[in-house]
Amino acid sequence: MSSVSAAASDAAPVRTQAQQNRADSAAGLSFVAPAALILFVFLILPLLVAFYFSFTNWSGTRPLDHPEAYEVVGLKNYDRWLVSGRRVDDFYRAVRNTLYYVIGVVPVQTVFALLLAVVVNQRWLSRKGFFRTAFYFPSITSSIVVSFIFLFLFSAGGPINAVLGAISPTYEPVAWTTNNDGLFHLFLESLGISEDTIGAWVETEIMDLEIWDWIAGPSVALSTIMALAIWTTTGTLMVIYLSALQGIPSSVYEAAEVDGATNWAQFRHITLPLLRPTSFFVVTLGLIGAFQVFDQIYVLQNDQTGRTTTSVAYLVYSTAFEGNSPNLAEASAIAIVLFVIIFIATLLQRRFVGGDRAES
Amino acid sequence: MNINRVFGLVLICAMVLLAAGIASAQDMVTLRVWTGSSSPVENEFKEAQIAAFEEANPGIDVELLISPDYGTQIRAGFASGDYAEVFTVGQFDFPQWQHDGLLAPGSMYIEAQEDIYQGLRDAFTADGELYCAAKDFSTLALLYNVDAFAAAGVDAPGADWTWDDMAAAAAATTDDDMVGFSAAADKFRWMTLFYANGAEVFDMDGAVAFDSDAAIEALSFYQSFVADGTGDLPSNLNAGWNGEAFGQASAAMTIEGNWAIGYLNDTFPELNWGVAEIPVAPNGGRGTLTFTECWAVSSRAEGAVAEAAWALVNFLTGEGEHGGHAVAAAGFGVMPARAQFAELWSQTVGEEYAAFVTGASYATAPIFPLGFGDFDAAVNEATTLVMTMEEDAADALQEAADVAREIQAEME
Repeated sequence: MSSVSAAASDAAPVRTQAQQNRADSAAGLSFVAPAALILFVFLILPLLVAFYFSFTNWSGTRPLDHPEAYEVVGLKNYDRWLVSGRRVDDFYRAVRNTLYYVIGVVPVQTVFALLLAVVVNQRWLSRKGFFRTAFYFPSITSSIVVSFIFLFLFSAGGPINAVLGAISPTYEPVAWTTNNDGLFHLFLESLGISEDTIGAWVETEIMDLEIWDWIAGPSVALSTIMALAIWTTTGTLMVIYLSALQGIPSSVYEAAEVDGATNWAQFRHITLPLLRPTSFFVVTLGLIGAFQVFDQIYVLQNDQTGRTTTSVAYLVYSTAFEGNSPNLAEASAIAIVLFVIIFIATLLQRRFVGGDRAES
Repeated sequence: MNINRVFGLVLICAMVLLAAGIASAQDMVTLRVWTGSSSPVENEFKEAQIAAFEEANPGIDVELLISPDYGTQIRAGFASGDYAEVFTVGQFDFPQWQHDGLLAPGSMYIEAQEDIYQGLRDAFTADGELYCAAKDFSTLALLYNVDAFAAAGVDAPGADWTWDDMAAAAAATTDDDMVGFSAAADKFRWMTLFYANGAEVFDMDGAVAFDSDAAIEALSFYQSFVADGTGDLPSNLNAGWNGEAFGQASAAMTIEGNWAIGYLNDTFPELNWGVAEIPVAPNGGRGTLTFTECWAVSSRAEGAVAEAAWALVNFLTGEGEHGGHAVAAAGFGVMPARAQFAELWSQTVGEEYAAFVTGASYATAPIFPLGFGDFDAAVNEATTLVMTMEEDAADALQEAADVAREIQAEME
């Protein structure tokens, strides 16, 4: 053997382990190259370009081959929207709205998705296909169409108010889509606490917004949008949970049953821990989607609710394309800030949900 | 004949054809024309206009692109520097696009400029230079429900109708099923009253006058309908916009534009409605707002291409039969930008809608100067706060005006 390989190494060299590795990695690279290229061109590159333009004053319409297309202005755009500009309050209001939206939507849709998945996965349930389709249906419907349906359902004289009015004769119709009152404000009000009686400390401004405004809670109009979002995304997340549930071997449950574990104990000590990677995935997906909420707000927002429903993503859009002086550079700056917020939120929840490994 | 000969022959033929092609292409001018998509009727109208132009000008080849997402399309074109020779510009985009040097000056080329309504020329003028030719426009007027007025015993509004008459009519027509006036929380509704009352964003000396007494009076009057229950916001009337609230007879009056004609007649054929001019202000003044779009020529078009481009713009917007005349004769809501065709438009769509075109003579295009984006946002916020009864007009307007003053100070 050794003499053969020695002779061969003179003529046609035998591949060493290192060479083999190199050849393998070359093959591997060539396999991922198309996907990597597409990701680079359509994802990484635009991100870097947006990052660059966020430091300029480019309007978005002046041709880039123009000699004075734009100037690099440093951190001016960030300063204008985060620190000292006239619309800093608009930005932080959008941040507040988005945070309430995320805090309201993500946990609820995750829990609902898990519950629905567990129910649909039960052996005793007949017509599973029907329920799977019914729960998944909102997710495959266009979000714009769903938004319009909700607009109709929740309008002042719409079916929701009609049903509530039929149930309770004393019910006062709520203007679901136009009411700017924050839920926490309404709750405090029902306890007899108002901005005037709670104390002067609520008028302290943190980041250009009074504490009283920060603690407003989601407005009724925003809550309507949140309900819509929960209703539409739960189905998608349910399907993800469902596939994970079906991946848990039944032998684990059988062993638990032999040991005398109750249904609840099985769920608590087997299902939940084994679903941990899925939960991480579902929460991450939900977080990112919720932080980027745009289309539902685009449809459901109206002249009256701008201040309590505008999300950061919507602010990016309106800065770039709407109004008297659209400005792509400023919009890019806000978009980068949104990116940072989402990045931090994802890191935080990685700590809390505990990463993508199952508990052993 | 061997195969090489055949190949050679084919090659020579191909070269001759190519040379001929190049020669003819040199005589042909190609114009790229970009515009936004609106109603199918209007798109067909544009296509017919272009076809007529090509027929009249055999040497010019027009590539028409009607884009459903025009704003994005043309912005991408601008950014890359490769965009159409002729394209439409909305009045609100004009200041930015002009500033960015995208538009060729038009004073020298646009035919019979005096005949275009003053308000429309102003919208597309910068530093005394007219940049582009308005193709058509819309104005706002007062829509009223004829049956509701008759039931309440109120006379139909005439040309001399005042704000007091309007308030009285709103009170008289308000009942359990209907309010007198649908008042959208939109600056481009109450500012009709603002201009009628003689208010201006900037006074003669260029100082901010947005919170003048005349302005406060106008916004207070608009708010008063909501305040005393004789009017409401369309969203509180179960409607997405004024036109819907008015159409479903939730409001006896509203301020809307001529785009509502087709919508109301198609969606609510039973509705018996009329149009009057925006009521006369206490000081006897008149005003309304106008919204318009123009055909512009790219600043990058040169020589024969530029000539052909301006010929097309004049063809589409001028005095000829395919310009303003055709817009008037088509009668699909928008009005011709030239006064000489106003009569024809009224005849086409019906004399009962004449108030829209009457308003053109005193209409203002509500465009804020470039760099006043924060002011724009502040006016929106002021309007919302006033119409949701959270602030009174004086405070809200002063806050907005202060923003404008601050911007002005920074610019100096």
